[in-house]
Amino acid sequence: MAERVKRDMGAAAAALDYDAELMLRVKDGDGASFGVLLEKHRSSVIHFLYRMVQNQAVAEELAQDVFLRVYRSRGTYEPTAKFTTWLFRIATHLALNALRDGKNERFEERLDHHADDMPARQVQDGRPSVEQALVFEARLDEVRRAVAGLPDKQRAAVLMHKYQEMEYTQIAKVLNCSESAVKSLLFRAYETLRARLAHMA
Amino acid sequence: MNCPLETRGTTELLVAYSSRGVDAAETVSLEKHLADCPACREFVSSQRAVWQALDLWEAAPVSADFDRRLHQRIAQQVSWWERAFGPLRPLLAYRGIPIAAAATLLVAAGVLLDRPSTPPAPPPRTAAVQVDTLQPEQVVKALDEMDALSQFNHSLKADDSEPRM
Repeated sequence: MAERVKRDMGAAAAALDYDAELMLRVKDGDGASFGVLLEKHRSSVIHFLYRMVQNQAVAEELAQDVFLRVYRSRGTYEPTAKFTTWLFRIATHLALNALRDGKNERFEERLDHHADDMPARQVQDGRPSVEQALVFEARLDEVRRAVAGLPDKQRAAVLMHKYQEMEYTQIAKVLNCSESAVKSLLFRAYETLRARLAHMA
Repeated sequence: MNCPLETRGTTELLVAYSSRGVDAAETVSLEKHLADCPACREFVSSQRAVWQALDLWEAAPVSADFDRRLHQRIAQQVSWWERAFGPLRPLLAYRGIPIAAAATLLVAAGVLLDRPSTPPAPPPRTAAVQVDTLQPEQVVKALDEMDALSQFNHSLKADDSEPRM
């Protein structure tokens, strides 16, 4: 009975979530569906991880681990939640572990070498002046440092809210906490960011 | 409306309004409040500044060989597992089967561990072993007893040598 209810719930979730349906196809041995999922979510996962760890090489390495885990979990996958919730739960877990394990050693290096990771900024006419470029770099550095200064969980919440455009409920599921806890995390995070970045208006 | 900054649990309404927006009814109500509340206006202004500042931070493009490296890792790390357990993968979907397999392994291990075995032959007793097990007090006591016996023998001999009455 419980198994049937669970299966029905899974089917309902899959019906609402095309990604979950693709993942169920991967479970059935359809490798092409994995390629579709990779194509669809590759950039968002890497960008989220990049902003979490602030190092492009580390972010890509972690993203590989994320997709590898997704692939290896295909046999036991059940669409009990939205696919992106599951995906970002894996990504956040790996990012938080990476930060915990190597934060002290890599933090300064990340901030000092960020210029190598970033694409050259082009203003609309395609020819930024040296002064414009310097101002932009200084502002960007300030943003990066402000975000890097947030506690890890607050940072994850802000990045999912701002860049992944997730709702509070989904962020709560990713971070495995209550919706009110997410609101509190975000409020404190934005309060810190306002104190550091409000002058940039 | 009550001031969101002074009402517990509604501050996120200001965050939402300053970032992605809220629905029409809430917008009207909030904007009416903002017209009269400098604190909320200041909050919205600074939150919008943060939101715009975060927009500056573009992520770098993904490496061109990301997919190739991933598929290479999948091939490397999954292949041995697939070779070993791939044929059993459909069975893993049924939760009872892995549990039954684990239970069978446990029972088998229990039977093997519980099997009566011939006790190991005791090591041959040697003098050296016995000497090793003697305590110093025992040696002293034995010497004392030997000394007492010797004195006793000596006194017996002395008694024998005396003329009998």
